[in-house]
Amino acid sequence: MSLHDDVEVILLDSQTVANRVAELGAQLSADYAGRDPVLVSVLKGALVFLADLMRAMDLPTSIDLMEVSSYGAGTETSGQVRILKDLSKPIEGRDVIVVEDIIDTGLTLNYLLGYLADRQPASIKICCLLDKPARRLAEISIDYRGFTIPDRFVIGYGLDYNERYRNLPYIGVLKPSVYGGAPPDG
Amino acid sequence: MTLASPPRFAHDSEAELARILDYYGVAWRYEPDVFPISWSADGVVIESFAPDFYLPEIDLYVELTTLRQSLVRKKNRKLRWMRQLYPEVRVKLFYARDFKALMVKYGRLDFLTGVAAANSAHAVTGNGNGVRG
Repeated sequence: MSLHDDVEVILLDSQTVANRVAELGAQLSADYAGRDPVLVSVLKGALVFLADLMRAMDLPTSIDLMEVSSYGAGTETSGQVRILKDLSKPIEGRDVIVVEDIIDTGLTLNYLLGYLADRQPASIKICCLLDKPARRLAEISIDYRGFTIPDRFVIGYGLDYNERYRNLPYIGVLKPSVYGGAPPDG
Repeated sequence: MTLASPPRFAHDSEAELARILDYYGVAWRYEPDVFPISWSADGVVIESFAPDFYLPEIDLYVELTTLRQSLVRKKNRKLRWMRQLYPEVRVKLFYARDFKALMVKYGRLDFLTGVAAANSAHAVTGNGNGVRG
């Protein structure tokens, strides 16, 4: 059984992704010329994108990683987002580029932006590979966008379902049978 | 959440969305406004639309439709009227597939199972839960 067997359709093949990441890297390099921004990513989905994007940037960048809790099965009804891994260095006065794999509801990123803003960086911009606006529940202004995608469950290139499929080299749509047996209706 | 005590939700999916919004610190109000959408000849309101949630920070109403297709059609019709009569009001309709996708995203397949069971019960009893507005 191959990971690929669970993919309904390839949405963005690896070359298409690579080309767009190179374009984003070039754009960021131009926009941040003469500065040394810090790329802040949220574990774990953005790791692959971050790794490729930073190598497409001709700038003296640094990186930092955060991990935040996610709403889920183990969440208490009174629960709130918790920072599981904080920034390793202060960002006060720095130009921050938040590198995200996908923006869906925007709820996590919305929380994170508030958290980062409290640390008084010089600027915060958002660079996301995938923008899925259909279910957006927070006002997010995306500065650098790889692709706008339809409302499908996507995996690969860092994106997972139950921690699997992150290592697929492309972005594909997961077969509904994998996560529930039947296509969503309604 | 801006109320001292949680409101009485008409459907489990609404309570779940409220928990998600609370978790991420997003302010919300439950059914705070009612928008008349049709009137009788003598000006009496005969139909209205009350979106489930209002998110004041982004000035957005959210309506959940997680029940039967016939009810979805009814809500779609109401939403069309709503958008014609109140074009400045932003309303986002969350269909069953959207809510399912949220539950899959958050690993709440157990919740989906419960909602499906509840919906089946509603379909049998026809109590119309969730078709307010």
